[in-house]
Amino acid sequence: MNSREHIRNPIPAVESKLEWSMPAEQLLDDNVLLEGLRKSAPEAVEALFERFHGKIYGLAMSILKNESDAEEATQDVFLTVVQKAHMFKGNSALYSWIYRICVNACLMRLRGKRRQETVSIEEFMPVFTEDGMHKSPVEDWSKEVERKMLDKELGKVIKKFTDELSEKYRVVFVLSDVEGLSNEETAQILGLTVPAVKSRLHRARLYLREQLARYLREGKTA
Amino acid sequence: MNCKELVYLLGEYLDGSMEEQLRSDLDAHIVMCDSCTNFMATYDRTRIVFRQVQLAEIPGEFRERLRSFLADKAREHHQGIEKYRKMAAEEQRRQVEALLRAFRERRLSPSLSLLFDSHRDRCEICGAFLRSLNGGEETKPVPPEIEEHLVEFLEALPPGEEPFRS
Repeated sequence: MNSREHIRNPIPAVESKLEWSMPAEQLLDDNVLLEGLRKSAPEAVEALFERFHGKIYGLAMSILKNESDAEEATQDVFLTVVQKAHMFKGNSALYSWIYRICVNACLMRLRGKRRQETVSIEEFMPVFTEDGMHKSPVEDWSKEVERKMLDKELGKVIKKFTDELSEKYRVVFVLSDVEGLSNEETAQILGLTVPAVKSRLHRARLYLREQLARYLREGKTA
Repeated sequence: MNCKELVYLLGEYLDGSMEEQLRSDLDAHIVMCDSCTNFMATYDRTRIVFRQVQLAEIPGEFRERLRSFLADKAREHHQGIEKYRKMAAEEQRRQVEALLRAFRERRLSPSLSLLFDSHRDRCEICGAFLRSLNGGEETKPVPPEIEEHLVEFLEALPPGEEPFRS
């Protein structure tokens, strides 16, 4: 690297040694947090950790389904955020950028690994007659589920059904329905189009609906 | 509109992004189809139930390990940034010193000499400072903002241009 290139490279703005002090409540503001992260200020790094560690680990676990992989991915995510904070241009919300880093870290880890067993979604799609009517009458079990909402057993089975979704559908479902991100945000994070997100989300819900229907009907999981 | 079409459009129907005409068609179908009414109610309930899926909780031992790992890395990174910044500042100072020395010793290349003279005569940032050097007769400490500005001036030179003879 010659001297002129050296100067031209982006230099993170750092004014002084660890002399960056900001009240904790101000660190809830993304811009303030980012300013601190660009300087690797300890309070900012701690605030980042406090705000995101649960979400990032949970998201990593829901994609990787393996504790040690999720721990490694979570560590990578935080390291990347701290080291690349100066490259974040603010084109999206901070959490959306961090989720994107997390999804990428997890997908990198999944690449080359033998995929865990997942259920084929096709056999859970609704079935219709040739003229497009429901093949068998559909029952309304929504009230029954409502009554069981607090059951531990139901909590376990919905977790099981979600885990059995293939990663393609599970990631979209977790970001959109569990994390409550908009379709646009999910699309941006995953590098998909909005119609692709809508389609995967819809198919994931159809699968989960059918699994839930069979569970209620037969009292056991598939 | 039939049941199959309704099922495949249900996501958009429920998230409100469906156009009005299509929504009216679906509404008309739902009113007369019990199965679709039930399908919609159970699909909607599924959305609500699965929203409460608990993501895995971070184990306490890992949380603390991660916290201290991150603090160490952030400290290292901060020191790295500081080191890089100091190197860059040092390099910047060296470049400006070399430029001003070449100016004093009349070693500027012909094109840079021309540029430098016209820049000195009209620049509001560094003009007064450069003029105060009295054609290179005097040496003065370079204020930081002028140093920064002169580096930008050098950066703007065409690539391949040798600004001064060594």
